Amino acid sequence: MQFEILDSPDFALLQLRMDTGDEVVAESGAMVAQDGQISVKTNVRGGLMGAAKRKLLGGESLFQNTFVAQADGQRLYLAAPSEGDMQSRDLGPGEEFFLTSGAYVAHIGKELQIDTKFGGVKGFFSGVGLFMLRIVGPGRVFYGSYGALHSVEIGAEGYVVDTGHIVGFTPGLSYKVRPFNGFKGLFFSGEGLVAEFQGEGTVFAQTRDAASLASFLHPFRPVQRGE
Amino acid sequence: MQYKIEHGPSFAWLKVDLSPGDELQAEAGAMVRQEPQVEMSTHLNAGRHAGIFQKLWAILVAFVRKFIGGETMFVNRFTASQGGQVVVAPSLSGHIVHKMLDASSRLFVQTGSYLASTGAVDTKVRFGGLRTLLGGEGLVLLECSGAGDIWVNSYGGVIPIEVNGSFTVDTGHIVAFDGSLDFRVKSIGGVKSFLFSGEGLVCEFSGQGTIYVQSRNLSALVGWLSPLLPA
Amino acid sequence: MHFEVQYNPAHSLATAHLSPGESVRAEASAMVSMSPSLTVETNTGPQGRGGFFTKAKRGLLGGESFFQNVFRASGKAGHVCLAPRLCGSMVVHELSGQRDLLIQGSSYVAAPDSVDINTQFQGFKGFFSGESLFFLKASGTGPVLMNAFGAIEEMELNGEMVVDTGHLVAFESGINYEVTKAAAGWISSFLSGEGLVLRMSGRGKVFIQSRNPSEFGRTVGSLLPARRG
Repeated sequence: MQFEILDSPDFALLQLRMDTGDEVVAESGAMVAQDGQISVKTNVRGGLMGAAKRKLLGGESLFQNTFVAQADGQRLYLAAPSEGDMQSRDLGPGEEFFLTSGAYVAHIGKELQIDTKFGGVKGFFSGVGLFMLRIVGPGRVFYGSYGALHSVEIGAEGYVVDTGHIVGFTPGLSYKVRPFNGFKGLFFSGEGLVAEFQGEGTVFAQTRDAASLASFLHPFRPVQRGE
Repeated sequence: MQYKIEHGPSFAWLKVDLSPGDELQAEAGAMVRQEPQVEMSTHLNAGRHAGIFQKLWAILVAFVRKFIGGETMFVNRFTASQGGQVVVAPSLSGHIVHKMLDASSRLFVQTGSYLASTGAVDTKVRFGGLRTLLGGEGLVLLECSGAGDIWVNSYGGVIPIEVNGSFTVDTGHIVAFDGSLDFRVKSIGGVKSFLFSGEGLVCEFSGQGTIYVQSRNLSALVGWLSPLLPA
Repeated sequence: MHFEVQYNPAHSLATAHLSPGESVRAEASAMVSMSPSLTVETNTGPQGRGGFFTKAKRGLLGGESFFQNVFRASGKAGHVCLAPRLCGSMVVHELSGQRDLLIQGSSYVAAPDSVDINTQFQGFKGFFSGESLFFLKASGTGPVLMNAFGAIEEMELNGEMVVDTGHLVAFESGINYEVTKAAAGWISSFLSGEGLVLRMSGRGKVFIQSRNPSEFGRTVGSLLPARRG
C-alpha cells in the first residue's frame, strides 16, 4: 500500500493506493473520495464504550470505518475536518504516542492499539470533551491539525503551551496544567489554560485552535426564537 | 477580458481586467476591490433564458436558502464602459479553477462552488431530491452550459480526478464534474451506515469524465465545531 | 526584539524573539506557546489610552476582546509564539516614524512599546452583524505585527480604488477614505452582498486580505446550531 500526503501544510489530504486485501481504519467522516472497489465496514471503536458518557468532540464519534480494497490500484482519499496539516508517525512494537482525540484521522496496521481509557492527562481539556489517546505500535497513525503542525523539542528549560494548541507529544514528558496568568477564557472553560512541559521529548503544536474559531463564529449563529 | 488567479492555492482570488463591452458575473458578496469606474448591478440568478415560472422558482429557492443558509442565488454583474479592473474572491479558504466552456459543454457545479462566469454561460439550478432543498449535504447543483468562461472555487485544495469506471465522492467534497458522467446520490453502505458512519451522503459516478474534488467540507467543519459552541 | 513569521500564507505563526529586558504587547488570546522564563502582565487597555475598549468591544467583529498582555524577558532571552483566530497570513510592517499606519481592529496582533497604538474609532455599523469599521492608529518606530484572513496583498495606491470593507487590513495615514454603500440603494447594497465599501484615494501602502471574515462568518455561521441570544 502506498500513501502520500498532498497539499501539506495548508489543506493536507491523504491519498492511499490500495491493492486487494489492503486495509485502512479511519475516523468516521474522514472519507473524501474512493474508487468503486473498496468495501467499507462500520464498527464501534474498541474501548470507547466508557467514553459514551463523555461529551465528544464533533467529528469524533464512537464509530470508525474499515476500508478494504477488493481490487488492485484502488485510490482512497481521507481528510480531517479542520483546515490544516496532516502527518504520520510510524510506531515500532510497544512504542507509545499521545494524541488529542480530535486529531486522529486514520491508521494502518491491525496490531496498532488505540487506548481511549487512558486517563493520565487530566486537566487539559476540562469541559470541552476532548481526551487524550494513547497510541501503541506497531503501525502507522495519521493525525491532523487545525493550522500548521509545529513541533518543539523540549529542552532543559521546559516549555509552556496553550492547551488548545496541543496536538500530541512523545512519551518521556511530564506537564502541569494551570490557568494562563489569571486569564479566564471569555467563552469556554479550557480556554486560557496552559500546560508547562518538562522532560525530554517532542511536543506537536498546531498554529490555530478550535475554541478561537468557535468564538469568532458565535455572533454569526442564528438566534433561537422564543417559544 | 484578461484574468489572473492570484494567491492560490490556499486563498486564491480572481483578478479580471474588463474591456469595454465585457461582462463578468460573480456571486453576491464576492467583490474584494474594484477600480471606481467599474459598474456593478445586482440580479437574481435564474438563468439567462428563464421564463416567469423559472424566475418564481428561483425566488422561492433564494428565499428558503436565505433562511436556512447557503447560496442566495443573487449575482453581481460588472461592466466597464472604459475598461477597468475588478477582483473577486470566494468566502471560504481554497483555490479557484478556470474552465472554458463551448456551446456543447455541460459542467455541473455545486452551488457553493460557483464563483463567476462570463459570456453566454448559463447556470440552471438542479436539485438532487427534496432533502437537498433543506441544505446540508444535499446536492444542489448548477448546470452550466454555453460558450464562455466559468470559475469555480474549492474549500481547501482541489484535485481533478479522471474517472474511467466507477468512483464515489462524499457529496460535500464535490466542486464540479463533467456533464458526461452519470451520477447517483446515496447513503454509504445502507441505512445503518448512514446513521453511524459519519459520511452522510455520497455521490456514485460512473462513465468517463473529470470530477473536481475539494479536500475540505463545510458540513464536516460544522460537525467538528458544533460541540465546542456555547448555548 | 524582532518577529519571525512562519507557515504563511495559511497557518501563519509569529515568534517574537526577546532579548533580556525587552517586551512585546499582544492580545491575550493570541499566545500559542512561550519560554517559561517570560513574565506576563495583563492590561485591559491599549497602549496610549485606556478604558475605551469596553465600549468598543461590542461593536467589534466577532467579539474581539482586545485585552493586551505584556510579555517580558527579564533575566534571559526568550520567545513567545503568537497566532490569530482565523487561518491566514501575518505580516510585519516596519514603522520608521514617517507615516502612521491605520489598522483594522481585528487585524492588529502585536507590537513593542516603541510603537504607540491609539484607537481611531470609525463607528459605522452596516446592516450585517459584525460589519462595523474600527481602526487603530499605529505610530512611532518599530515593527507592527498584523494578521490577514487569507493571503495578503501589499498594494501601492496611486489614484483611486474601491475596497470592500471586510477585505481591508491596513493603510498608511494620508490616504483618504470615504465609507459608502456598495450600490445606489440600500436594498441593492444588501442584495449585492457587498454592504459597505471604502472609496480610497491618494498615495501610499494599502494592505488587502484575500478573504472577508464577515463573509466567512455568514457562510459558516448560518449552518451552525442556533444560540440563545
